[in-house]
Amino acid sequence: MLEFMDYVQTAFHAQSRWNIDNSYAALTTTAQNLLDFRIPQGLRLHVSSLSSPSFATSYTLGSNGLVDGSLSFLYSSSGLSIASKSSDIRLEHLVRGYRRLQELQRPDELHWNEIWHQGKRIDRKDALLYGRLYLPGSTLEALYLRRISPTRMLRLSGVSDASLPNGGSALALLQNDYGKYSTEYLYSTDSALLGLRGLYNFGYDPRTLVSQQPQHSTRAPAHPWDHQSGRLSAGAEAYFSPINKSGGVSCGLRFTTLPTHTGFPYTMTLTVNPLMGNLSTTYAVQAGRYMALCSRFDFNVYSYESDVVVGVELWRRKQAAADVAWASKLVRPGWSKVVEDDVNGVLKAQMDDKGKVGLLWECRVKELLVSLGAGFDLKKRERMLGSVGIEVSYSS
Amino acid sequence: MAFNFNWSPLIADTDRVRDMLTSSLNKSPKPPIIVDDIIVNELNLGSTPPELEILEIGDLAADRFRGIFKMSYTGDAYLTLKTRVQANPLNTYLSTKPSFASPQPLAASSSLTIPLQITLSDIRLSGFVILVFSKQKGITLVFRNDPLESLKVSSTFDSIPFVRDYLQKTIENQLRVLFMEDLPAIIHRLSLRMFNSDQDIQDAKKELVDDRTPIDPLASPALQPVDDGEDSFDLAPLSLDPPSETYASFSQKNLLRLATLSESQRTLSLFTPGMRDTVFRAWANAADRADASSGYNTPLHRPTLSRIQSTLGGQSGLSSSAPSQTSEAASATSRPSLATAVTGASTYTLGTSGSRTRPRKRKHRVVNLRRDHGGADGSDMASVSSGYEDSVSRSAGTSVEPSLAETEPTTLPSYMSRDGEISTPPRSPKKKVDFKASSDGGRTNHDGNATIRARPVTPRNPAAQPHEDDDATPRASAYLPEKQSHPPQQLRRQQLSRMQTVPANPHQRAYLPRSTSELSLRGMAPGFASPAIESSTGGILEQAWMMKMANEIARKVKEEKGMQAVGWRRSESVSGASDGDAPPPAYGM
Repeated sequence: MLEFMDYVQTAFHAQSRWNIDNSYAALTTTAQNLLDFRIPQGLRLHVSSLSSPSFATSYTLGSNGLVDGSLSFLYSSSGLSIASKSSDIRLEHLVRGYRRLQELQRPDELHWNEIWHQGKRIDRKDALLYGRLYLPGSTLEALYLRRISPTRMLRLSGVSDASLPNGGSALALLQNDYGKYSTEYLYSTDSALLGLRGLYNFGYDPRTLVSQQPQHSTRAPAHPWDHQSGRLSAGAEAYFSPINKSGGVSCGLRFTTLPTHTGFPYTMTLTVNPLMGNLSTTYAVQAGRYMALCSRFDFNVYSYESDVVVGVELWRRKQAAADVAWASKLVRPGWSKVVEDDVNGVLKAQMDDKGKVGLLWECRVKELLVSLGAGFDLKKRERMLGSVGIEVSYSS
Repeated sequence: MAFNFNWSPLIADTDRVRDMLTSSLNKSPKPPIIVDDIIVNELNLGSTPPELEILEIGDLAADRFRGIFKMSYTGDAYLTLKTRVQANPLNTYLSTKPSFASPQPLAASSSLTIPLQITLSDIRLSGFVILVFSKQKGITLVFRNDPLESLKVSSTFDSIPFVRDYLQKTIENQLRVLFMEDLPAIIHRLSLRMFNSDQDIQDAKKELVDDRTPIDPLASPALQPVDDGEDSFDLAPLSLDPPSETYASFSQKNLLRLATLSESQRTLSLFTPGMRDTVFRAWANAADRADASSGYNTPLHRPTLSRIQSTLGGQSGLSSSAPSQTSEAASATSRPSLATAVTGASTYTLGTSGSRTRPRKRKHRVVNLRRDHGGADGSDMASVSSGYEDSVSRSAGTSVEPSLAETEPTTLPSYMSRDGEISTPPRSPKKKVDFKASSDGGRTNHDGNATIRARPVTPRNPAAQPHEDDDATPRASAYLPEKQSHPPQQLRRQQLSRMQTVPANPHQRAYLPRSTSELSLRGMAPGFASPAIESSTGGILEQAWMMKMANEIARKVKEEKGMQAVGWRRSESVSGASDGDAPPPAYGM
């Protein structure tokens, strides 16, 4: 489940019209959501609040062995009009599951954001400030986001901790998103790591969209493998550290179906690390409105190590109110409104070939959002249950 | 001064060393590049030991040692380690960083683990090491400086020069840290384990040794001390070749016995482990203080202690200084020889030192505490500078051979001549006769040839063969009016008879190589005889009457002594006290 602060940050991205999926780092988001979900450990309590459209606070208290907690504050220059009460937040927004990608949007024109008043431009770039202090460990996390232009965003993040070398590190990330392709440049102060990422979407170029082609499905395919209802993307990343004289590269490929696709939406990815000889393929399908399945297969051509992980996500539908149940049955089939918010719980499970099983149950109880998690190790006969945790979250 | 290493036992025990090295390598947090445990595959200590050169010795004792050495090692030891390492540097870099400010690459930080085998060879060490050895606390070895000079690292990555150099550099640094910090702890633990197991082995051997057949020490003298029985230390001074590595291995059993003896002085317990074939100066003193009941223990203990301390403090080899230090109660450290062990030290130092001390002027080391007695009477003759030895020789001689026995009375006058010296009261010739009569069959030869005899035996038959004593005991006549001299003698004899080493076994006494003492005593005999001849006075009749009186008094004293049981007397045979177990009186005939 997304923490409240991450939820607010996502809302900021959405409000400032930034497509977080159009990046090479988000190539395998669906598989990561379905297979690499975080299982809570110990007891944790979150209390959050969106005191004003621009300001959010959150406090957490956890007892994972020792009692620890954190305070976090967030400021957004543009007011966020989102549902913030824990009883109102839609569960699908909090629980990351199958990521349905939308059609690419043409990036906004630069002058669309201009606001003039009395001859002066008074619009301001969207910015977000976020800080988190962990106690008692005295670790400080800070984040600064700034929408420099409709196609560019700067992200500065830093961690300060006495136990880290040099007292901490900072990361600067400059993201450019032009619709058809996107690039990222990053620099980390920790060992002076330089990074470069790029993603290219084959097929339809939203920048060339002109008014005479409103329907995506009727346009002619730009090239032979341009599926109308699917998008093929390819990307690569490279890192280099002049201090360590080390680095890494990887490249990846993704094919995902678009909303116009008839049938079950599915996503396939393939990522390769040519230096280390790592191959990783994932396949995720949304088999119905309330279920999604995913599998991943890793293989190393040098060391012949392999790994298989499968995961499932099940949504629990809200039971219709007893007094209205008879009426909803009488509704004509085609007229039934898709109730947006008709789920009140989700069960996630993942299992790998080494006998490790992870279970996560997230639901809303009255006004609280509860997530229960457990990790098992089936290979160990005497101690199968590894870790159990519960997180309770309340926001207002 | 050089060291000779017995390098093989260390090689034989590499399994334990390997396990300890493995656990110590994995105990400290490993760098993230090492994915799996570090396992010591093979450890070979090579064929050449390190060369040690002593620079300084700070403390030297039987059970502890401290010294500074200069060590250099140019051997062919090698060590093989096996582990798995992470080949993706980005993975090791990012795994230790917080995820909030990390670039979070998609697949560039995927892990690749490679098995790695490293062989360290051609180790060259040179440095200063402080070695502290303690019986209870084991061995501690600390390097004063960084000893590692050079090292050859060969691994599965030898074909990649970058990795090879990196490994060489990293491992050299790690080894330096290991030598300075981890190696002392490992050696300490290993030494503790070895000492404990060695102690168990020695205890197991002790039971086997107690019923071994006797060895004729002269038949084949040991070239170096071996712990093959209770008599092992007795062999040391008899070896034909002076042992060059005398203390390459201490005899566990004898060390234990010595420790028991020394500790018996520090407790309130009345028990004192007896020592075989020993002569105690205090027996003579105690005989004088027969009426003082408390006089027994302390004089007995004091000489015992001095003897023990003297033997404990020493190294091998009899030295002529041994007899001179006998009378010093606390001369512990400079005692010449550990080999002059408790059991037979007195005998052998006597044997070998007698001739040496003969020409020397005797030092007046013993104070005559008995002022009221006549100067000659209280002379504890046996306890003068060559006291123990002489007394033992006398006792030995008296118990075995008439010739030797003769020397005893003949020496007494010479002792008497010194003033202020406590010497054992002269013994009547009857004592000598008693010894002879009570000697075990075959133990002594009447012809005076020395045979193996365990220890002098208290006289059993007081009325035996007075006529064999050709040389009239001038002492007997000289001290005729001093009746007290005899009871002390008797008492002393009683003490001697009571005192014996813990495994009191008359048969064992026969196995003690006393022959050497007798040899040397025989050598001394002429020396003894000469003063005897010149000082002999009195006729045979007087002599006979003296002997009779002495016997009666001895009998009375024995009965009296039998009432006062001394704690450490094992077999309490008061009457006559002439059982074969008890050693003969030190200063008797």
